[in-house]
Amino acid sequence: MSGLRELRTSKWANPLLAGTVILAAALFPFFVGPLDSIMDDSILVLAYVVMALGLNLVVGFAGLLDLGFVAFYAFGLLVTGWWASDHFSDVNSKASSPGIHVGVGEFPQSLAGIHFNFLLLVIGAILICAIAGAIIGLPTLRLRGDYIAIVTLAFGEIIGRVAQNGDELTPFANNKLTNGRQSISPIDQIDLPFLEEFDQATNLRPYFWTVLALALVVLFVNFRLRDSRLGRAWIALREDEVAAASMGVPLVRTKLLAYATGGAFGGISGAFLGPYLQSVNANQFQFGFSIFILAMVILGGLGSIWGVVLGAVLVAAMNVFVIPDVLDGGAVRSVLDSLGLDFTFSQVSFGVFGFILVLMMVLRPQGLIPERRRKLEFAEVTGTDETLYEARA
Amino acid sequence: MSDGNGAPPALLATDHVVKAFGGLVAVNDVSFSVPQRSIVSIIGPNGAGKTTFFNMLTGLYKPTLGTISFADKDITGMRPDKITALGVARTFQNIRLFPTMSAVENVMVGQHARMRAGIFGSVLRTPRVRKEERAVREKAREALLYVGLRESELDQVAANLSYGDQRRLEIARALASDPALLLLDEPTAGMNPNESARLTEFMDRLRSERDLTILLIEHDMKVVMGVSERITVLDHGEKIAEGDPVEIRADERVVEAYLGKRGDD
Amino acid sequence: MEAASATIDRPAARRSDAARELLSKYGLVAILAVVPIIYAIIDLRDDGNLTRLGNNVVEGLSNGAIIALVALGYTLVYGIIELINFAHGEIFMIGGFVAFGLYGTLGLTPETGAFGLIVGLLVILVISALASGSLNTMIERVAYRPLRNAPKLAPLITAVGFSFILQNVGILWLGASQKSVPDLLGSQSELFNVFGLSISRGDLLAVVATVPLVVLLTAFIGRSRLGKAMRATAQDPEAARLMGINVDTTISLTFLLGGLLAGAAGLINTLYNTQVWYFQGFQAGLLAFTAAVMGGIGNIRGAVIGGLIIGVIQGIFDNRIGNEWTPAFVFGYLVLIMVFRPQGLIGEETREAG
Repeated sequence: MSGLRELRTSKWANPLLAGTVILAAALFPFFVGPLDSIMDDSILVLAYVVMALGLNLVVGFAGLLDLGFVAFYAFGLLVTGWWASDHFSDVNSKASSPGIHVGVGEFPQSLAGIHFNFLLLVIGAILICAIAGAIIGLPTLRLRGDYIAIVTLAFGEIIGRVAQNGDELTPFANNKLTNGRQSISPIDQIDLPFLEEFDQATNLRPYFWTVLALALVVLFVNFRLRDSRLGRAWIALREDEVAAASMGVPLVRTKLLAYATGGAFGGISGAFLGPYLQSVNANQFQFGFSIFILAMVILGGLGSIWGVVLGAVLVAAMNVFVIPDVLDGGAVRSVLDSLGLDFTFSQVSFGVFGFILVLMMVLRPQGLIPERRRKLEFAEVTGTDETLYEARA
Repeated sequence: MSDGNGAPPALLATDHVVKAFGGLVAVNDVSFSVPQRSIVSIIGPNGAGKTTFFNMLTGLYKPTLGTISFADKDITGMRPDKITALGVARTFQNIRLFPTMSAVENVMVGQHARMRAGIFGSVLRTPRVRKEERAVREKAREALLYVGLRESELDQVAANLSYGDQRRLEIARALASDPALLLLDEPTAGMNPNESARLTEFMDRLRSERDLTILLIEHDMKVVMGVSERITVLDHGEKIAEGDPVEIRADERVVEAYLGKRGDD
Repeated sequence: MEAASATIDRPAARRSDAARELLSKYGLVAILAVVPIIYAIIDLRDDGNLTRLGNNVVEGLSNGAIIALVALGYTLVYGIIELINFAHGEIFMIGGFVAFGLYGTLGLTPETGAFGLIVGLLVILVISALASGSLNTMIERVAYRPLRNAPKLAPLITAVGFSFILQNVGILWLGASQKSVPDLLGSQSELFNVFGLSISRGDLLAVVATVPLVVLLTAFIGRSRLGKAMRATAQDPEAARLMGINVDTTISLTFLLGGLLAGAAGLINTLYNTQVWYFQGFQAGLLAFTAAVMGGIGNIRGAVIGGLIIGVIQGIFDNRIGNEWTPAFVFGYLVLIMVFRPQGLIGEETREAG
């Protein structure tokens, strides 16, 4: 047993664990069929992991309670709706091969509308969401915590509403902004350079590896940032804004960077989900989505990177798998039916997330894998001759 | 901003500074200067406006009227992080550490203004950024040892440190930005006489070893009288006396301010 | 904390502060007034009279009265513990649901005679108010009180959680779509006509029901011992405790009061708009919260005035641009207010943070 303990506390414990998990994840698709529903679920879960990591940066690291994160989901999806579909079929329509095409394969080449390569979509989503994040953050700079929550919530709703009613807006010379309550679809399949275009109908594995890669990149960036000058500035901001400013941390820039970076991650996730879900449906841009992501961060542990990954996996799994398939499926369903209860768990899924939030806040606000747990776990209060003055200031 | 008669130039100076919150005047027409490499104290009864005054010097409050200059530069109403970057650092009356960060990390934040790593450099961890991180961490450890923390405490979470260590940590964090002027707000609050004496000694060392100018708010008269070259007394937001320790000790108005007018009871 | 004595005699300093205060106050009034003014001009141009706008305003004021009742709940709670009770909109919604449920229990239908209706509705008023009030109090006891010393994030998130739980209760109770409710009072039927403005029974109800409640509340807070305790606790909980006030009970009482008003508003809304929907709490909550902030959060008069104003704005937007867009505009107003004039119309400027 002592060998195991040595392993656990050694410098290599974490990277080893992480490496094993990542390897397992990468090999996972080979153990299931290319179109299995569990593949579908896993892909969605990973996309939500990316989104949760983005929110964690804003709420967990920098302590800015953003209740409008759905805005970045919206922008990410809309980028694909605008630039990977025939939504803007008017563009360049007089040319012999109508539309604008950059880096796309044979099939999309033939379609009208604007079509950019997936990597360009991701970059576009990052840029747009970073700017949107900064704009959303701007009004919150002088506000206290609860007011920040309201303003970000307000922006999330405004953006959602504009997207839902976007078919009435034509800012681009008769082209509608969005399709309103109907989806923009279909969205081009992902087509990476040097690889064949993905085909959802036959094989989900490439999608899985793509989203896994995105998740790993975002994770990597998170770890690097957390242990950097900027990461420390964010945490200082969260702990004591006044002291942070007095130590030389420029508040405006640091806060805006948090919103922009967190938003960019949300945009990456959205840009992936566009092609994956094959449609951009503005009806999803509701406050409930922001809470869904928030529940992941809270459950996992505010500010804790691995915690948030775990939280995201659990909550997303609950949403895409446990509720529809397990709880509303077979055995449980028949038990409930026999009791004469005719509600489905899907109907109460948001109530369940609300319940998670309440439970966590009251019982274990630090989350499942608290941030800095290791430091607090092993810290001993050193006794010195000042023990008489233990009082915290 | 040098004094015509050969006295050392003022590092910091305020000119008729006023701070009013609505109808309430917390600081009323205070003109004040701190000569370079000196140790100056501000004293006064509770509620005299001392911390409000400090807060204006460090940019947390904007003066309602008047100007403040530092090293010949007008810093009136400047943002706190900019003032820190210019070379002013402070500690707080009620310790304001970053509780979940370790002592070392707290001090590393103190160096924020002196670091150059940006978001992209941090993600890519370029050689320059790596070097800077190492240097900053090393410097933080040195600063903590310099103020008297022990090796074993350096990676402790700040909230778990003893009170005295927390006070020391705050000073180390303030020193981290390589300031020219150090503002200490009641640094010996809650300390026993032994500790206070050691802190007094330490302040002297700071001034000579690090070429620092120190401005203190203090209530402990022993410390004040022992370390200050000049003392300024505030009462009800106004400067009521200024001079060296001997003069101040004998000043009627100062005694009154602390003890009330004779014949009042 | 620093105390200061001398009264200011620095005119220059005060002048710029006062100027900023006036500018932001009248700026707020201006952006609120611009909407009705624009539509007044349009109406005069198109119809030659202000009837349409007038009717928007009448309906807006009626809805505004309901919003005001809900806004009072937000403002009372925020005033006393600086918490935005996110679940308050749902408290209102549940009140409406309870009211509707009781229609059947008491056998009230549109055919019920006047006397039966009045008695029945009064009974329902009491019950739904109590239901909402106790629900609100229970949530405070269970979720907010244990977190009173936690960072502000915690109770806020808990409130959001409860909001969702209650919405789901609504879904389970009456389904996910809007549900039409028997029109007991014939609320849309016109009662009388003034200068071409149609005043319906529902409009009268909204005013007649709301005014006494607001008056009662103001009297209670202003004159009763408990009301004084509430005001004291709102100003300084520690001092209140030292004076022998039971702060915990006072806070619970505040939640109860807010809930009672929300429950009453729920009934009035069910009668007036003859519709219940699990999502109406979120919508009403948004409007009411904006109203509370606009009036000056923590300020009772402000909540009422804010409610009426927001009601009118909603009335105009719903009619002119479509109720799909109204929330976006109201949220827009909310952002503007919070950024440029967080103290609202009546609130006082707070001390800068130190």
